[in-house]
Amino acid sequence: MLVRVKLYVLNLYFYTLFFLASALVIPVLTLFVALSRLFLSQRDTMKRFRRAISWYGTVITSLPYPFIRLRYEDAGQSAPGEPYIFVCNHRSASDAFLMCVLPHEVVQIVNVWPFKIPVLGLYARFSGYLNIRMMSHEQFIQQAMKLLSEKVCIIFFPEGTRSAKRTMGSFHGAAFRLALESKASVVPLCISGNEHIPPKGSLLLRPGTIRVRRLQAIAWEEYKDLTAFAFKNRVWHLIDRELAIMENEA
Amino acid sequence: MIDQEIISKINKVFEESFEIEKERLKPEAHIFTDLGLDSLDIVDLVVALQNSFGVKIRNEEKVRDIRTLQDIYQFIASLKNDENKKSS
Repeated sequence: MLVRVKLYVLNLYFYTLFFLASALVIPVLTLFVALSRLFLSQRDTMKRFRRAISWYGTVITSLPYPFIRLRYEDAGQSAPGEPYIFVCNHRSASDAFLMCVLPHEVVQIVNVWPFKIPVLGLYARFSGYLNIRMMSHEQFIQQAMKLLSEKVCIIFFPEGTRSAKRTMGSFHGAAFRLALESKASVVPLCISGNEHIPPKGSLLLRPGTIRVRRLQAIAWEEYKDLTAFAFKNRVWHLIDRELAIMENEA
Repeated sequence: MIDQEIISKINKVFEESFEIEKERLKPEAHIFTDLGLDSLDIVDLVVALQNSFGVKIRNEEKVRDIRTLQDIYQFIASLKNDENKKSS
């Protein structure tokens, strides 16, 4: 009973701060980006806009500290200016916010529903997030290649939907087809500890530590002879193995 | 009756190009639900089959009807038969 009460208090605390911070941070960052547009090119403004979204993510993920902690572990040692394709496992609605740990200009590949979230959906659209369900494969490749050519990193959750359990679902091939066409390096990203923050089908956050571990980038030379299918399965196994290691460490 | 050589070559395509384990390659295996391919993987599959058998695969309608490994065995066998008839 006491545990349940504590949980509700934590959630009341978080969601109150979440709405207050959003009401404050979003207009301030919007103003910052709008003013930047007066002095900067469209491309530089977009860079700032995406950076602002990342700052917002940092604010939101810091709110529940110390009840919920976020740890970023970079096992990759990757070059900072390269446009990477990030491939992540997907357990929770909070995953999109966790991407703020990445020190890059990023765009996420999303399903239909994130675009429908009030305010945030609009910002996702403006910042160039791609809705893979609403475009043809050719359109998607064309737009994603343009982003990569501008050195914007692209984040995929190739399971397509959140896995309700710790077991990963099978991957869709779009990220890997894009990699083969663009020759961009692929970075596996393992997210652990967030399966209850919040669990699928609920908004109730549980206390815990979320770990985001970035693995070594896989360069084009290493995967160029694979089919998209074989490549996606190799990355699936890499992430699966690393998650098992992370969860044994926890 | 499908030539065992055709079956072995097709299975090899799945093992080498798609890294699917031999044990999963059963004739009744559904290429989408059991083996996990998607519609775009079919393009890679067609290229790999063309390279392996040295044939041109053009009949899109027949390719679209493929569902199981057995369908692929039959498709390639009929393609090879047609080629043999043409050359004789």
